[in-house]
Amino acid sequence: MKVVAFLRSLASGLLHRSQIEAEMDEELRAHIANRADDLQRSGLPRAEAERRARIEFGGQERYKEECREERGGAWLESLWTDVRFGLRMLVKSRGFSALAVLTLALGIGANAAIFSMVNALLLHPYHFRDLDALVRVWEDRGIDEGYDARYVAPADATELSTHNEIFENVTTYDMRSFSLGAGSEIQPVLGCRVTANFFDLLSVSPAAGRLFSPGEEQPGADQVAIVSHGFWEGRFAGDPRLLGGKISLNGRSYSIVGIMPKDFDYPVPVELWVPLVLTPEEKADRAQLSLQVLGRLKEGVTLDQARATLAGFSRRLEQDYPKTNTGRTMKALQLRKELYVFTLPLFLLLQAAAGFVLLLACGNLANLVFARMIGRQREIALRSALGAGRGRLGQLFLSETLLYSMAAGVVAITASFASVRALRASIPAGWTKWVPGWDGIRVDGNVLAVTILVALGTGLVLGLATVVHATHVELNNTLKETGPGSVTPAKRRVRSALVVAQVMFAFVLLVCAGLTIQGFARLARVYQGFEPASALRVEISLPEKAYPDTVRITNFYQQLLRGTASLPGVQHASLITNPPASNVDSETTFFNIGGQPALKAGEAPSADLQIATPDFFATLKISLVSGRLLSEADSANAARVVVISRGMAERFWPGADPVGHRIKLGTVDSAEPWVTIAGVVGDVRQNWWNPMTRPVIYKPFAQSAQRSMTLLLRTATNPTSYVSGIREVTGRIDPGIALRGVATLQEEVSDSIAIVRIMGILMGIFGLVALVLLSVGVYGVLSESVAQRTREIGIRLALGAETDALMKLILGHALKLTAIGLGIALPVSFAISRAMASLIFGIVSMDVTILAGFTALLFLVALGAGYLPARRAMRIDPMVALRYE
Amino acid sequence: MTGQAQILPGNLDLLILKAASLGPLHGYGILLRIEQISRGALLIEQGALYPALFRLVRQGLLKPSWGTSDNNRRAKFYELTSSGRKRLRQETKDWNRLVTAIASALGTQPEEV
Repeated sequence: MKVVAFLRSLASGLLHRSQIEAEMDEELRAHIANRADDLQRSGLPRAEAERRARIEFGGQERYKEECREERGGAWLESLWTDVRFGLRMLVKSRGFSALAVLTLALGIGANAAIFSMVNALLLHPYHFRDLDALVRVWEDRGIDEGYDARYVAPADATELSTHNEIFENVTTYDMRSFSLGAGSEIQPVLGCRVTANFFDLLSVSPAAGRLFSPGEEQPGADQVAIVSHGFWEGRFAGDPRLLGGKISLNGRSYSIVGIMPKDFDYPVPVELWVPLVLTPEEKADRAQLSLQVLGRLKEGVTLDQARATLAGFSRRLEQDYPKTNTGRTMKALQLRKELYVFTLPLFLLLQAAAGFVLLLACGNLANLVFARMIGRQREIALRSALGAGRGRLGQLFLSETLLYSMAAGVVAITASFASVRALRASIPAGWTKWVPGWDGIRVDGNVLAVTILVALGTGLVLGLATVVHATHVELNNTLKETGPGSVTPAKRRVRSALVVAQVMFAFVLLVCAGLTIQGFARLARVYQGFEPASALRVEISLPEKAYPDTVRITNFYQQLLRGTASLPGVQHASLITNPPASNVDSETTFFNIGGQPALKAGEAPSADLQIATPDFFATLKISLVSGRLLSEADSANAARVVVISRGMAERFWPGADPVGHRIKLGTVDSAEPWVTIAGVVGDVRQNWWNPMTRPVIYKPFAQSAQRSMTLLLRTATNPTSYVSGIREVTGRIDPGIALRGVATLQEEVSDSIAIVRIMGILMGIFGLVALVLLSVGVYGVLSESVAQRTREIGIRLALGAETDALMKLILGHALKLTAIGLGIALPVSFAISRAMASLIFGIVSMDVTILAGFTALLFLVALGAGYLPARRAMRIDPMVALRYE
Repeated sequence: MTGQAQILPGNLDLLILKAASLGPLHGYGILLRIEQISRGALLIEQGALYPALFRLVRQGLLKPSWGTSDNNRRAKFYELTSSGRKRLRQETKDWNRLVTAIASALGTQPEEV
């Protein structure tokens, strides 16, 4: 009944607005007329009776407004009025509106752009069913460095896959390079060997054909391959006959049974997948951590439960196989997070920085709106006098700020389509293909929703702040005043507090930006210890069939080195297994030190293993620390030697020269011979995430030849001009050999840190925006305060105040606000930078000079922003000022 | 105007309902009727009557209709609806209970405690 009545009055309220207004008028008029009749009857003259009746009735407009509020649907109607009013205001003060909308759009846009990255890379890196249940499992020896070392010994992996109380399914895989084709057309392809349940576990299905069956994991039945969409289109031009056809891999014939969809590129963008078949010896191996493991957790099993179970499992393995498994613990990490262990804090930092930019923008806008409220005090007082309650005024201000924020949201979304595209294109595709989810960076539904929510929230907060700030108006005084509205000390304090808060936010943001940029700059110089300029790299992979033994491999590479070294302009030519900035971790090896007690497998130290030709060090200009470099004399028949890195020398022979000492690669009982350390060379950063002082062992190529090597050339001129020369040399030796990964080392170095660099640039942009917003904020508050104090300043000038003293007065105000802000922000920034240094280990480190530098910078900005208002104050003409109001 | 009591906000609604229960009235008539039935003891802000009337109409307790007053002016008359009547009964009961309770509380003598 009540609801019906409400709806009816709502409907009639909306439908017959003007009629209702007219009726309300008539009703009140009739009341006053009736009253006047009565008063007249009691003996008053008509005019006096009418006057008395009106006074007795009270404020008609106020009661009308109250009536409108009591009537249903009033809020809707008044909202519409307010929105129209807001729009009129928006159009009327175009300068103000443009400034407000742009400021907010900057803040909202920054958040939208960063969120589009977070959304794609962190929230949706892969499109697998129930992504959160997929976990990577690996055995941690506690002494391995580098974060790519996530492998499991094959025998342990087999036992793990029977562990079905936590896992629904477990798959193992490893990456392999294959030689595709036969005869003169051999090409290297990157492939992945997987167990038959690999695709089922990820719950992906092929675009065409079928997946592997369990029987195909058996030796003999394993000559089947599933190829990537890119392989099919790139190498076979999308020929449908590829399915069911045969290709030759490493000289064996494989039938192609399936083609994967375009967006499937797990674990990395490989070209094909083949069944993982291990020999019985390989299967029984517990010593070498060689396989990668991915599991799907059972429904209801949490990551913590899985971790606890895995810990118990590794303790059992430790007891059963102490010789191999001592000190090993199984660890688990969500697949989603695996790739971002390192970059997650960076993304969060970026998102936080974007949030700070928005806060600063809000601070500025609040200042602008509050400043305008002073001008509108009379309007507000009038509205209150006419019966607008606080709620009604609040609705008015809310609709105004919401209009601004929504307009800013629209601008931000429009701009983010372009900015997101720019963001995506800012990093070379050759590199971003390794970043799952990168192609998904776009303005999608999630990004839109978040942007709209942010815009709405911003408008709400600003509107509410305005309501709290502006609706306390002293009616009588304000309405009586003739000059522009004045500000109460309390309100001035609010605006000063806003500036203080802005100083705080800006400072914290600047310090974060400064620390990250400094870290990134350090990263850009991270590849020290060698000279990337004028160096060319080419990957070469010899097919097993044509090069079955060391002699042929060595022969090929000797001819290649001789041929390329004699190209005019080539200063050095050499081979290395894994050149710096390759984005791939080097193979690692255990080693034992001669003369020291032998260590158990679990405790033996490990080092990166590199195979190099003598000229490698000269090619990259790596310095010799002690002993000698590798030389041509270290041939296959000569005594076994290695060269080690300075970091390794200092760690394992502290204070001593390791030259002449002997080490043995592999575990203590391995068949490897003892080798002599011939020399120590300078440290080289392998990849930006590896520590600089990571131990490296360089073996001479002649003593351990390998089919896949990278050719490095140091050239006199532009390195890329030598590519055709190399091709010619290779073609003369063996026309069937393809060149792969041709690039200058300089390109590799800058590409490999591209994502890190773009983050540095973004942080830098945020920092700059923060500075601009801050100076606008300080300037706004100071000019306002000068305008407010015109009279006071005029009196001071009239009484003979020095202009210098005035300058000091105004600038002192600016400096005081900055100092208070900094006083709060300094300890906060100190704590944050400490936290950042531990989170983003190796990039960010505490730096007091940055804190000091930005403190000075903010004072300068405050002075600069205060200078204009101060000059204006000095120029005030006392006569004009005193007549001001 | 001594001897007049300011009425509490919520009670105005009750008084309006009571006044309207004695026959349809226009706004000014309700005002006079309240003065009459309270024997002039209650002071009502004249303008404040109308927001209250609008509220009661919205709640479906009063039904407005246009008519002509005795001095030949077009006026809006308010009539009690059935749910208004129910509400008046209920509120009157509540009010009496409250008054009795407060009166007995205030009438308590020291020896009764």
